[in-house]
This record gives sequence, C-alpha cells and structure tokens, in this order.
Amino acid sequence: MATKPKIKDLLDESACSHNKVRKVACNAPKPGATTGGCAFEGAQISLFPYADAAHLVHGPMTCLGASWETRATGTSWRGRDLTQVGFTTDVTLNDVVFSGEEKLTKAIDYIMQHYAPQAVFVYATCVTALIGDDIDLICKQAAQKYGVPMVPVHAAGFVGSKNLGSRLGGEAVLSHLIGTREPEKTTPFDINLIGEYNVTGDMWQYTPLLEELGIRVLSTLSGDGRIADIRTAHRAKLNVIVCAKSLVSLTRKMEERYGIPSISLSFYGKRDTSKGLLAIAEAFGDADLILQTKALIAREEAALEQKLAPYKVFFQGKKAVLNTGGNKTWSIAAALQDLGIEVVATAVKKATEDDREKARQTLGDRGVLMMNPGAEQAKLIDETGADLLLAGGRSLYTAIKKGIAFADVNQEKKKSYGGYNGLLNLGEDLKNALLNPVFKNVARRAPWQK
Amino acid sequence: MAEVIHKNNKPLQVNPFKLSQPMGATLAFLGVDSCMPLMHGGQGCTSFSKVFFTRHFCEPIAIQTTAVTDAIAVLDGGAYSIVESVKNITQKVTPSLIGLHTTGLPETKGDDVAGVARQIDFPLVHVNTPDYEGGLESGWAKTCKAMIEQLAAPSEGVNDNKLVLLPHVSLQPIEVEKIKQFIESFGFNVFALPDLSTSLDGHLGDKQAALSSGGISVEDIQSLADAGLVVTVGDSMQGCAKALQAKNAEMRHYHFPHLSGLEATDSLAEALLAETGFSSPPPAVSRWRLRLQDAMLDSHFSLGQSRFLVVAEPDQLAGICQSLHDAGGRVALAISPVNSSQLQKVVAEKVIVGDLEDAENMAEEYDVIVGNYHCEALAHRQGKGLVLRGFPNWEQVGNALKNDVLYEGGCYLLFEAANTASSCREVKHV
Repeated sequence: MATKPKIKDLLDESACSHNKVRKVACNAPKPGATTGGCAFEGAQISLFPYADAAHLVHGPMTCLGASWETRATGTSWRGRDLTQVGFTTDVTLNDVVFSGEEKLTKAIDYIMQHYAPQAVFVYATCVTALIGDDIDLICKQAAQKYGVPMVPVHAAGFVGSKNLGSRLGGEAVLSHLIGTREPEKTTPFDINLIGEYNVTGDMWQYTPLLEELGIRVLSTLSGDGRIADIRTAHRAKLNVIVCAKSLVSLTRKMEERYGIPSISLSFYGKRDTSKGLLAIAEAFGDADLILQTKALIAREEAALEQKLAPYKVFFQGKKAVLNTGGNKTWSIAAALQDLGIEVVATAVKKATEDDREKARQTLGDRGVLMMNPGAEQAKLIDETGADLLLAGGRSLYTAIKKGIAFADVNQEKKKSYGGYNGLLNLGEDLKNALLNPVFKNVARRAPWQK
Repeated sequence: MAEVIHKNNKPLQVNPFKLSQPMGATLAFLGVDSCMPLMHGGQGCTSFSKVFFTRHFCEPIAIQTTAVTDAIAVLDGGAYSIVESVKNITQKVTPSLIGLHTTGLPETKGDDVAGVARQIDFPLVHVNTPDYEGGLESGWAKTCKAMIEQLAAPSEGVNDNKLVLLPHVSLQPIEVEKIKQFIESFGFNVFALPDLSTSLDGHLGDKQAALSSGGISVEDIQSLADAGLVVTVGDSMQGCAKALQAKNAEMRHYHFPHLSGLEATDSLAEALLAETGFSSPPPAVSRWRLRLQDAMLDSHFSLGQSRFLVVAEPDQLAGICQSLHDAGGRVALAISPVNSSQLQKVVAEKVIVGDLEDAENMAEEYDVIVGNYHCEALAHRQGKGLVLRGFPNWEQVGNALKNDVLYEGGCYLLFEAANTASSCREVKHV
C-alpha cells in the first residue's frame, strides 16, 4: 500500500491560499444535496488525455459506461487514440464475491496483446476498492511482465470530489512515471504544462507561440501528452500550471524533489494569454527571451485586434451578466471584456476567495459580484439593461422571460475559446447568440393565452 | 433464427455500449410526475447519470445522490445516508415521490435498503439495482415492478375501458405517446408506467423544475390495479405485468415483444379489435398501415442491397431487426450488451452478447450501423453508414421525438435506414 497517497495530506495542501486562512473540509458532500462529480471522474479528467496509454477502469458498468467518449481532448498521437477507447473490467456479482483480481490481470494481458499501449492506467472504483482488490500488486506484476509502466490510480469515487480525484491522478503520475526516464536532450527553456487537457485543442492555440520563442514543452499532464515524455518531466526547468488548482500538490512536490519552480496562469482571452506568455519568459529570467516574448505579444495582439475590430463594433454598448463558478467567474469575464462587452455582474457563489478577488479586480468597482445569482440575476438584467446572459442551462428560463440572448457556458464546447484566436471563436458564438431571434420568438404567447 | 453466441472469453469490455442498472432505474423514476430519483451510492454515479441523460434529452434531469463516502461506507448501513438525504431533499422541495435506487457500492457492503425505507415517513419507492448485475433494461423494469408492488393498491373488479401500458426502456418519449394514442383511438383510457411521454418529451416549461415535470402521477399508479387490461411492450416488462396481476387476478395481459413493423403492429390492432369488438380500426390507423406498406416497397431496393449491424438493448434490438428484415434489410450482425430471452427471437444472421470491439472485428460483415453515439467513431473509422438509435445520442438533437414504432414510426425508420444506406453507397462509389 506504499504507493497509496494519503488523502488527508492532499486535502491539507500548503500551497492552497485558502488553507492559510481557514480549514474547511471542502470534500464532505451532503447526502441528498450534492452536485458534481466524484474522485474517479477527476482522475479520468486529468489522465485520460494520454492517448498513447490504455485507461482500464476496474469497476462495474456505471463508472466507464456513462463516461467514456465524453471529453473532446485533442491529440496528435499517430497511433490509435486510446483516450477514446473504453476499457472496463465490468465487474459482476461473481467478481464481487470471489474478487476481481484475476479478471483484472487477464484484462491487462488482453490490452497488452491487442493494443500494445505505452502504459496502462488502472483505476480503482468504489466497488473494487471496497472488496479490496490489490491493484498495486497486479500493476507491479504486469509492469515486470511487459516492461511498460502500469499505473494504479487510487481515486475510487467515494474518497471525495472531482478536484481530489485530479490530485490523486497527479499523485499516481508522480509516483509511477515522473523521473523514470531521461530525456534525449534538454534545452534551457524546457517546461511541463500541468493541468492543460487540450479540450477542443485549447493548447494548440498557444503552443506554436511557445515553440516560436524557443520554449520547449518537454511534457504535459496531460493534454496531447505522451507517456515517454511525462517520464522525463523531472528535467524541466519550469512547471506551468494552466487553470488547474487541483495539481498544486504535484508541482509543490516536484519543486521539493527536483527543484522545479512553478507558475500558475491561464490562456483564456487576450490579456491572460499575453500575461501568461510573458510570465513564462520572466520566470526564466532571460532578458533576450523576455524581449522576444514582448515583441511576439505585440505582434499577436495587433493581428488579433485587427480581426477583432468588427466584433468590437458589434459588441459596443452590449452588456452581459455572467453566472458560472470557479475560475470561469473571472476568466470568462476578462475574455468578454477583451471583446468589448461590458460585464455588469458575475456570480461568485461557487468561487474560492482567490477567484472572488480576481473577479472584483476584473469587473472593477461598478460590477456586481452575485452571492445568490439564482435570485439576483433577473433583477440585475432589468436594472442594467443587460443584453446577454451567460450561464448554465438552468438559467435559460430567466433569459427567455427577460427576452434577452442566452449562451450556455457549460455546454460541451465544440471549438476552442483558448489563446488569442479562441477569442474570435467566442466572439463569433456570442455574436450569433445576440443576433438569434429565437429567445424572443419562443417567448411569444399562444393565441389562446392572455 | 440465428444462434445466440455468448462468447465471453474476454475478461473485459472494450468500447462498451452496455449501460448500468441504476441508470435504467433513474430513467424509470423520471417517468413519474414530481419525482426525485435518489441514487444510493457515491456522488459520481449520480453526476455521470445526470450529465448522460441531460445530454441525450437536452433537458434538465432531476436526480439526487446519497453521496456515500469511504468513511460513511464503513460505518453506515445506509440508515444515515438515506435518512439524511430524504431530510435534505424535502427541506428544499416537496416531491410526490422519492425514487430510491442502489448502485454497486451499497450493495457490496450489504445495506438493508428495504429496512431503512420502512423507517422513512415520506412517499418512497425502493429498488435494488447494483450496477454489477443486469443493465439499463433490467434496471428500468425492476423499478417499474417495484413501483407497482409498493404503490399500487390491490383491487377487485375491473374497469374494462382502463388499460395499463408498460413500455420497455428504449422507447423514446414520442414512441410511448404514439402507442398510447394508438390504443386510445380504440376507446381505451390508457395509463403508461413509466410515462416519459409527458416528462422528457422536450417541452418548454414555465421554469426549470427541480423535480421531474410530467409523467404518470403517484395517485394514478396507486389506482392502476382496477384496469381491465395490461399491455407489455418488450420481454423485459413481463415481470411487471405479473406484479400488477398479483394485485388483481381479473386483469388480463397482452404481451408484445416489440411494436416495430407491420406484423407486430397488426397483432396489437388485432388484439384491440378483439377487445372492442370493432370490425375495423379508426381511419388514421388503417391509413398509416397503407403508408407503411408503401414505405416498405419504396425502401426495399436500398435495404435489399444493404447489410446491417444493429446494436441495442434486447427489446429494441428485436424491434429494429424485425423492421429492417421485413423490407429486405439483411441484419448480418445484432449485438446486445446483455443476455435476454428476447435474443432468441432476434431476426439476424448472427446474434451476440458483446461490445463494440466485437463489432469492429467483424466490420467486413456489414455496411450500415444502427446504434448509439459510441458507434460513430466505429462508423467513421470503418467507413460505414450510421443510423443513430438508443442511449446515448449525444450527437444529435431531437431524440425525444424520434419515432420508430407502429405503422407510422415504421415508415420513418425504414426511410432513414434506406436513405443512409444509399448515401453511404454513393460516397463509396465516387
């Protein structure tokens, strides 16, 4: 059980700013009043993007059956994209009674024979964790047999939230992959991208710019990731955490173990992308690189501004209310501002202290931070004359009642909103929403209604 | 009939389209008006199921979780999580019913769900649906049965005009509505259990309801047992009819393995004519029969040169294969995720219990796939035509209104299959 991470330690992360102020058990779900995914889902989110590895879910059918092929994480891996191949032991009553270990061993054999992956991640789930299947031992034996990494992931759903599961996924990578191989060469500007999952190809919006600057992405956890690369991650000079608080434990440990410093940033919208690129250059402290980066930023921003001009004309005077959670409370707000939309209010009910501060900075003094968006947003739309509501599907009815445009922020994205050019995609989608007469048309009363 | 192959020498599922029992249970409870389905297990099962159905129906899905954690799992026999959940749910909303269904986690540790349910002073139906047994279809059927057993009051004497319809899980909301209307057009008063036709049919409500909005009412379930007739569609539902008859020995039962295609619909019409003593059905029914006959002829040329893979839950599998076969479609391969008595009746050259990896290994044998969203990548890789059917369909909108049943829906299915087959042939010939 040595590889099993200590969950209590993970929940008390010293690198989390809120843990300096107060200790809240943010992982105790309330029966009958809980939303959000489990630890297994979090692990899946953080590890499934490795397309050259098989992801074997050791559990009954709900775990994988309801969740595979749900996230559009792009990969340039030329082999079969194993992110989108579902593997599960589909444990049955027989396995529950007599143990699922033999089945798991055979499943790994099957995968190695038919798919020859670069690694196999084996995910424990509630049922198989409860019956005590020893996935550590099975992985160890299989790794010896096949000579490829077999990574046990101890993030059964019932250990906690999605966020904790992502951390546990990071722990598994740290224990079993990072530092197990040396890179063929190193460069002075090698980075790891941590917490970037390349959903809809977000990462590809900015990695060409990094490349142009001579900054090499040595490895990623885990967008467009390769097992061979993440094994060499200990040789990077810098860890770049992209929009993911869940992996700060991992980067802190990498700093302690390998002396790799880390920075946290986002590539959402124009200002964040520019700030992010510059932050990386500044972290290296190389004067030339900083100059070069500034030049590149100036060039990209000028090019973007030109393309954005027609959108800015269109969005002039348009006001939006934003109702979402987490880092989206401010990152989407900033992107909207980049488009020339005034953000009159943003919900901060489901945001951390850090996120609330950033939301305040982004919106300025006049913007409203909604603590109870469900009740407040309708009133705010009236008061501010907002034209657009960006929220979860739940709020659609509010928009229809007010006769204003609606955009679902939680909808599965089909195209990237990341980096400089992603802003154009966002602009196009919001322009289409504002031009769409549907929200007014469906609100039309039936002839037989008064 | 083909021989059913239960290979299963494979120690795993690769590219599964099998879905779990608790998800079938959730869906069944969503066919009851103002219900709150409560899944007993870790929070992830509920979260996954909610997202799964939200994306399929493009509708908000009411569901809650008992949110069992590893600490609670060790100490609690379900009493704490379930009682606490009911308390927390009813603080915010007042459901007409709480639909308690289990997952693998509490079943593995042996929670006494029935015992806990007895202590709860609130309308609640409980059902054991571990996800290490059965599948979507059995979860739905078990739940329907549990609702009958725990809610329907025993009755003596029957109301000859009252008919209970028990539809299998794969029937989409509009299909349930069409079957109801078909039967109603013969003069019956029809109650469907579960009834997705008024809950997940994709209607615009006044506001987003926190509970299921539409479906059969709890009062109507309580008084089901005075119906003169019960009609089951799908072999999975036969146990439910027995449970209902146990409440009233005078109730008579008609069973239809499916209602797809000319012959199956004929048999329903025949039964209804016999019951009513009418000499002919309502004009709309006979008109649609003529249209289906014509549709079969119009589509036979394309279907007759096409080989199909059909991937579906057993009851739906039987219906789709029959429809295609009747108009000349060759079902080369039919795959079910689970075993069922229905599989013996499936009209296909080969019937297997398997997954989509099996389908891929036999890709040489078919040209067009009828199956769910997970078949899309397979169709793309192998250059096959695709008719999207079954849960989930995350690729398209309008799933609740897709109708394949009776004379009318039969036309739509055949046209879509024939057109898909033709266009994928054209693509290949270019």
